Amino acid sequence: MAPLLEISDLRTEIRLREGVVHAVDGVSFSVEPGETLGIVGESGCGKTMTALTIMNLLPTGGHIAGGSIKLDGQEIQNLSEDKMRSIRGNDIGMIFQDPLTSLNPTMTIGKQIAEAVSLHREVSKDQAMDRAAEVLDLVGIPRVRERIKDYPHQFSGGMRQRVMIAMALACEPKLLIADEPTTALDVTIQKQILELIDDLRLRLGMSVILVTHDLGVIAGRADRVAVMYAGKIAEITDTETLFARPRHPYTEALFQALPDKAADAGERLYSIPGLPPDLVNPPKGCRFAARCRYVTDRCRDEEPALAGEVAGHEFRCFYPVGPSERAQTSRLTQYSQSTPEPELAGPRIGEELLRVDNLVKNFPVTKGAVLQRRVGWLSAVADVSFSIAKGETFGLVGESGCGKTTIGRLVVGLETVTSGTISFDGKDLAKSSARQYRKERRNIQLMFQDSYASLDPRMRAGTLLREPLVIQHIGSRREQTQQVAEMLDKVGLPRSAAERYPHEFSGGQRQRLGFARALMLSPQLIVADEPVSALDVSIQAQVLNMMKDLQHDLGLTYMFISHDLGVVRYLSDRIGVMYLGKLIEVGPAEEVYLRPAHPYTKGLLDSAPLADPEVEKAKVTEGVTGELPSAIHPPSGCRFRTRCPRAQEICVSVEPPMLPFAGEGHMAACHFPLESPIGSAIPSATQAGTPY
Amino acid sequence: MAMVPHLDPGGMLIAEAPPESPAGGQIQAKPRSLLRRGWEVFAENKLALVGLGFIIFILLFSFVGPLIYKTQQVSVTTSNAYCTPSGQHLLGCDELGYDIVGRLMVGGQSSLEVGLAAAFVSCLFGSIYGAASGFAGGIVDSILMRIVDAMLSIPFIFLLIILAVLIHPSPLTLIGFIAITYWPGPARLVRGETLSLRTREYVQAVKVAGGRGSRAILRHVMPNAIGVIIVQATFAVADSILILSGLGFLGFGIPLPSTDWGSMLSNGLNYMEDGYWWLIYPAGIMIILTVVAFNFVGDALRDAFETRLQRR
Amino acid sequence: MTGYLIRRVAQAIIVTLIVTMITFILLHLVPGGEVRALLGIRATPAEIASYNKILGFDQPLYVQYGKWLWAILHGNFGYDFKYEAPVATLLWQAFPRTLVLAVIGTGIGLMIGIPLGIYQAVRRYSVVDHVVTGISFVGYGSPTFFVGLLLVQWFAIDLHWLPAFAPQAQSLTGVLSQPVALILPVATYAFVAFAIWSRFMRSSVLDNIVQDYVRTARAKGASERRVLWTHIFRNSLITIVTLLGLTLPVVIAGALFIEVVFNYPGMGLLFWNAALQTDIPLMLAITVLTTLVTIVGNLLADIGYAMLDPRVRYS
Repeated sequence: MAPLLEISDLRTEIRLREGVVHAVDGVSFSVEPGETLGIVGESGCGKTMTALTIMNLLPTGGHIAGGSIKLDGQEIQNLSEDKMRSIRGNDIGMIFQDPLTSLNPTMTIGKQIAEAVSLHREVSKDQAMDRAAEVLDLVGIPRVRERIKDYPHQFSGGMRQRVMIAMALACEPKLLIADEPTTALDVTIQKQILELIDDLRLRLGMSVILVTHDLGVIAGRADRVAVMYAGKIAEITDTETLFARPRHPYTEALFQALPDKAADAGERLYSIPGLPPDLVNPPKGCRFAARCRYVTDRCRDEEPALAGEVAGHEFRCFYPVGPSERAQTSRLTQYSQSTPEPELAGPRIGEELLRVDNLVKNFPVTKGAVLQRRVGWLSAVADVSFSIAKGETFGLVGESGCGKTTIGRLVVGLETVTSGTISFDGKDLAKSSARQYRKERRNIQLMFQDSYASLDPRMRAGTLLREPLVIQHIGSRREQTQQVAEMLDKVGLPRSAAERYPHEFSGGQRQRLGFARALMLSPQLIVADEPVSALDVSIQAQVLNMMKDLQHDLGLTYMFISHDLGVVRYLSDRIGVMYLGKLIEVGPAEEVYLRPAHPYTKGLLDSAPLADPEVEKAKVTEGVTGELPSAIHPPSGCRFRTRCPRAQEICVSVEPPMLPFAGEGHMAACHFPLESPIGSAIPSATQAGTPY
Repeated sequence: MAMVPHLDPGGMLIAEAPPESPAGGQIQAKPRSLLRRGWEVFAENKLALVGLGFIIFILLFSFVGPLIYKTQQVSVTTSNAYCTPSGQHLLGCDELGYDIVGRLMVGGQSSLEVGLAAAFVSCLFGSIYGAASGFAGGIVDSILMRIVDAMLSIPFIFLLIILAVLIHPSPLTLIGFIAITYWPGPARLVRGETLSLRTREYVQAVKVAGGRGSRAILRHVMPNAIGVIIVQATFAVADSILILSGLGFLGFGIPLPSTDWGSMLSNGLNYMEDGYWWLIYPAGIMIILTVVAFNFVGDALRDAFETRLQRR
Repeated sequence: MTGYLIRRVAQAIIVTLIVTMITFILLHLVPGGEVRALLGIRATPAEIASYNKILGFDQPLYVQYGKWLWAILHGNFGYDFKYEAPVATLLWQAFPRTLVLAVIGTGIGLMIGIPLGIYQAVRRYSVVDHVVTGISFVGYGSPTFFVGLLLVQWFAIDLHWLPAFAPQAQSLTGVLSQPVALILPVATYAFVAFAIWSRFMRSSVLDNIVQDYVRTARAKGASERRVLWTHIFRNSLITIVTLLGLTLPVVIAGALFIEVVFNYPGMGLLFWNAALQTDIPLMLAITVLTTLVTIVGNLLADIGYAMLDPRVRYS
């Protein structure tokens, strides 16, 4: 069967002030009808540019420099703008990452979708609207007739992405290009959207190009995968083979940098040193040579071609990893199998350090004409209790709006508690005088999520790091400068960094700075709020390794806040799961992960894509359906009941208490848990044989 | 970056950066201070350079010029009235016999003095007002901003003329008048900037480290607001010169024997029929060129301050 | 949306009150008060005192303010001794004339400036773009009166094509019946308005062109033309409405100069003559009225904005 899309030696250049960026530098692949091709890579690898090039939607200064794009046998890269327009939205549809900014805020969604129809079909306005309603129904928007007249801002993130999909599919295209379609969405919504795309693909007989940086998404949804690096394809094959037998060192390194895999095997993350190459002046030989652990001189001088031994599996490397004739002849292969590093020495967990009791935080919701009247409260944190022991890492996980960030801010003192207590080292924090409180700040420090926003752009790194010492009147100026230098060493930055400004650092380096600043006061507890969420996998591994090492060296305690289950599991000793302001499950990391008691936890675990195709394909559950309820009017009784398949009468009226489960300190709040609570005669769901 | 293959503790052959090089990688690009970076962006803007050049020229012309091109600017010489441009009077004379070029210099002195001073005073007061309002928040902020709204609703020219009628104009009082009518603009701008800066995370970081609010304000918010204020001040100079020229034209400008460019034009209406072009064009063109020059510089400054905060 | 609107109206009322207070205070800054201005510098204290009593100026300030405010709300702006007519009548005659000229002039400027600005954004860095930018810079930097002067010099005096003075008729119909005389003053307004609006539209459209939703529209297969008018312009419209409100004070200030240069009997000229004769009460009355117009104008712009932006309308 002829491929639907055939790309051959595609080159895209972007003319910038500094020079010409070779964003896509000789990319070739094909897409068969009805299949999903995944294009995966880190930021700057050219995957988005490739997607945009197919539709010729390049930004200013961009143009196709060479190669061919064939859609159904017809060459489209040189088509006139007119002809190209009849393909866009018609034969090829595209959806983008951020549905909020990608939809016109001043047009109703009905009109926007109807526009897509009337651009390509000779239909009346009413007919176009009817089609719009039809497609909106197809993507699962409830109460279509009412909502078709609504504006984008009136929808939630997941709903907006559904609208975008509806718009892209209105004319039943042969190919759908999805550029990071779920990156901006919560994990549970992400699963819903990916399911939807898959479902529609089968129903409409479409092909899909799925562009993403998330290997887990690829594992679960793609038939074939192309791994891109620095504007070229590094490896391309079908999904199972890629994950089971990667050949390119970059692919191998990526897998070893994933927290999921490392957590399973109890290994350390492999962090790829350095940064991707500059695409204005790309290196002469193999693009990955500068960071490859098997590099030879040949790699630096010659560029390998994309070739393969087995049909359908191609890679761009002279000395690929994994078993093969070629690989065995190389003398480096004896080292090509990575030896797992043993976990750092034994438990250093001690007494209770931080204790949170019945913590409540409500934010006022104001409305009002002249005077701002308070009309309600937003229940951000609703009666949460947990404790963290000295030396351990406590992972606080949940989706947006669950309250985990608020708890972090409460512990660190950026928000005031509505009720409840926070005790540190046995002492109630609220009971100190203002002056004492400021001094006690030393013990609990915060690592911010957005390093760019948390570092004053007008101050040099050295001054920024010295500031906590200056505030707390620690040491003379010379001593402070010395401490700064030592701290830079510890976090893996050059000493000369002290003279630089924040904008001169890369994302990963800024996170290190943020971490360094948190460490300056030698705190005992560090609250890390989504510290690696904005980083690429390889950089993420670097930062996580650094955090783990320093924890061991300095005896730190972490409260690690994240929405990424894989990362939390890798780093944490204990995990707390939050939903809509409530702590619904807490316990040892492995226990919670392998034997979750709360249906939401299980739903969360199911939704989070794992970089393992077999596991992904075996997932039969739906994840979590529905949408997040309002935090201003949270559901009565159990807050999760509106989306829980096990909910009964009692869940509406009675808030479930925390029950103990197998595993030390493993508790969950549910009337119908998945496991059997200790000391109870109720059989667990699995025992009783009930579904889910 | 030189890679040295070596064995790591696990026996794995790795090609990592040499031990002296830290795990985080080197920092690319040479060190550049913020000032330098801002200057680079500014210097790229050709118009801004032209504008800056012209401003320097005007300053020299107005203040150093009289030392070179000496003319009588104090007493009236009616016998010279309306003299045509000649070798002795390059641009002719006005209705009171003053040499026009000399008049331009004197006008330049007062226009620049008043313009710069008025801009400085109004921006200084406006910034403090706006910052205070932004920090205070709540009711205080609301009331202070309503006052600003009220002042902004009043057509400034009417207010100016009322003041000029009530109090006899002199360079000093004119600075006061313009400052009084102009300050609400900067106030509102700085207040907005303060509000947005307050919520920045690097301000919160001060609190996390145990610092006081005052430290956050002085060390973090104010330095970052300076950029906005400087840009605003540059435009304020341009506006002040325009306003002064308007007042001068209406007869409420700098009194004799001194003058300002606007006043030089106030009689223009009466003598257009007579073809005395030197009474009209020179002063008007001076105003336009000076104001445009400051606008160019202000635009470029705005670009320079914005880019330093953006990623390259 | 209603919450937003109620809040805006309440703010407007408060602002108006503050303005009246400021104006009132200014009224009483004149040493000796209105009366001295009226009677001249040589008035004796006794004369001033007796006139004060007659006109009610010896009462406590807040009482005076109250009475004055009350009077204003009833449209009673006092009596002008120089013109020998109630101030209100003078305003009532002058205001429409100013309005007509300002609306026509600014309107034409808008109608030229907005399309040109859009064109500049679409064809940025072209020759037309540079030329128009250059002209608007000059327009931005020129004092309004100078523009008027130049137009008079070139077209009225040098070329004798157009009359130097605007229509002097008292009635609106009279004014409008001399369109030729209106050309130069209208052109002055239009030039200044064009400079502001073309520059603004250019940057507004440029801001929108790089937005994500434009990329989505293109991905649907929309032509550049469609993208511009159906998508970008719609979003720019909202900011146009807001800007309209903000440029109101500028237009009024311009009116003053234009009416002086062209001797047009509108409120601007009225104000200037009053200034020359130190007729403070009249000046203040005009100020209060024009401020009210500005406030109402801003309010209307806000309402318009609330109606056009669905994010405000449905929140």
